[in-house]
Amino acid sequence: MSENNIKIQRNLWENPWGYVESFFIGFGLMVTGFFLEVFVSTSNTFTLSYPFNLIFLIGYVLVLFVLYKWFASTQIIRWLTKVPASITSIVLVTLLVMIMGIIPQIPSESNIITNLGLNHITSNWAFLLILFQFLTCLGLISIKRILQFKWSNFGFILNHLGLFLALIAGVLGTGDLQRLSINVYEGKPSWIATDAQKNEIELPFAFYLKDFIIDEYHPKLALIDNTTGSISHNNGKNLYLVEKGEKYTFKNFEVTVDEFLPNSGRIGDRYEKVNEIGSPPSAAITVKNIENDSIQSAWISSGSFRYPYESLKISDEYSMVMTIPEVKKFSSDIDILTKEGERISTVLEVNKPFKHNGWKIYQLSYDDKMGKWSDLSVLELVKDPWLPLIYIGIFMMIAGSFYMFWMGNKITKNQE
Amino acid sequence: MTWIDFPLYSSISISLWILGLLFLLISYKKESIFKFANLLFVAGWLTLILFVIKLWIELDRPPMRTLGETRLWYATFLPLIGFLTYIRWKYKWFLAYSIVMASMFLAINYLNPETYSKTLMPALQSPWFIPHVLVYLFSYAVLAASSIVAIKGWYDSYKGNFKMETLKLADNLVYIGFAFLTLGLLFGALWAKEAWGHYWTWDPKEVWAFLTWMGYLIYIHYRNFHIHKSQQALTILALAFVVLLVCWFGVNYLPVANTSVHTYTNY
Repeated sequence: MSENNIKIQRNLWENPWGYVESFFIGFGLMVTGFFLEVFVSTSNTFTLSYPFNLIFLIGYVLVLFVLYKWFASTQIIRWLTKVPASITSIVLVTLLVMIMGIIPQIPSESNIITNLGLNHITSNWAFLLILFQFLTCLGLISIKRILQFKWSNFGFILNHLGLFLALIAGVLGTGDLQRLSINVYEGKPSWIATDAQKNEIELPFAFYLKDFIIDEYHPKLALIDNTTGSISHNNGKNLYLVEKGEKYTFKNFEVTVDEFLPNSGRIGDRYEKVNEIGSPPSAAITVKNIENDSIQSAWISSGSFRYPYESLKISDEYSMVMTIPEVKKFSSDIDILTKEGERISTVLEVNKPFKHNGWKIYQLSYDDKMGKWSDLSVLELVKDPWLPLIYIGIFMMIAGSFYMFWMGNKITKNQE
Repeated sequence: MTWIDFPLYSSISISLWILGLLFLLISYKKESIFKFANLLFVAGWLTLILFVIKLWIELDRPPMRTLGETRLWYATFLPLIGFLTYIRWKYKWFLAYSIVMASMFLAINYLNPETYSKTLMPALQSPWFIPHVLVYLFSYAVLAASSIVAIKGWYDSYKGNFKMETLKLADNLVYIGFAFLTLGLLFGALWAKEAWGHYWTWDPKEVWAFLTWMGYLIYIHYRNFHIHKSQQALTILALAFVVLLVCWFGVNYLPVANTSVHTYTNY
């Protein structure tokens, strides 16, 4: 029996290592990682920050280079630069990311999930080890192709090296990534930001919010079921915007919008245009019941934080209501005040961040209870010194994609 | 509202296409008929494009937000892919498939009428929006086609007349689709940096998009080094498409859905 065993083992780990060996090694790494998760305290996640991550990166690339250059004939390096190792590590990374795609990455009540760390895959030891193997494969293969450079390898290098750079810079960069948020009130300078752990951080410059502006879409019309209170047409989706003069049909009701006021207040039995904080939009509508030709007209309003909404009951079953307007655009007109006494004016908007002193400043949110009357604007500040490296990787991959699209598949072309 | 015109435009397109498919069928017996089939396909396609343009103008925003709108784009892109593939590889059956699929998507939209909403949340108002979504939809359409090729390959092997040509067509489609998938993913990352301050946040949709990308990555690597193992390659291709479908529709039903910034369908 022992002889038999030895024979099988020899076959299994015989030169060159194939898929079975690759999966053994991969699963070994994963099991090790999960053991670490269970038995090693995981209260703080493993991250490297400057300068250790930079040292690690340089060291890692040098080691990969040395390994490829002078140890390429060893079993393990030959295995790492061959296809079974690549495909296996792609499959295992896919497997672990799939866990992330199924189990919500939030604190969990299940002991298994918590102990194995399945709800924080990105900082899970199993994932980090598998990713390390993946990056090692990718790095070695990139070095191999660069050292044996041919023009036909160009696309290959762009894709593989690009992915390597983007991934490693992304992983190592988390340690240096700073994300702060700051509440800025109209007419007051602010310079104390908070990080994700709610620590207060003093900024080297201050924000002065001159004006916070919200543009809104018109509100929408909805047909509401009186008993359930839910929207009862189009499955609650794709409602009609309130536009003066438009005519819409809901089931057997024909609704005409006679008047629309974006800012209004109730005065007697009608709404009038007013301009004060909390004045809601309103509309005068005429509803015609097609079945019995009865007609009724009234004012409806979506209400605001100061005033109640008003609906129109059009039958025993249904009412017409006006929804709270959706936000079209919000922006902050700010000044950045530096310690040197400089004053930089800019307008921040979603999708339009502003760069200042190594920080990227984003419009994040506002007091949504107050809506367009909010005098609070929440800004976010992000500093990511590793971004240039990540962008180099991303743009290499974009170029690689164009190359791939243009050149197509090597095998297919060769065998044509 | 232009959406009300949809039944008109879509029925014109579908009728022209059905007629074209008949001509295509006849052309297997009589080759000269084929150009009429093509003419009808193009006419139907142009009708659809006209509708998309009108809808876009009317909505005042790119019609790419809801599932129904993406179906419309899918229906618009499939014929294009069919034409291009025909020009390059001369597969009539593939052209027919792309037209049938496009008609099916139009029919689904016809049965689920939507009065398209005009509102667009601030995060979506970006120059990245159109390239990101278009590139993705094109990619999905091409990759869907590649999985149909995989099914044909399976069927052929079952019948015992599998040809390597089938797998080569799949390869070409996967390469084109994967290139676009990569672009879509990276455009998304660049956009996210502008909109949310970070290029990658492991949002559920991102996770599944990444998985889809990895799935096709496995196929490409497998094909490159195991040229003759066609059955396994076909299986990988089919599985990768399952992941793509989860990414496209499935995410909304997974337990992770409510943490996603990509679920706009509730609006």
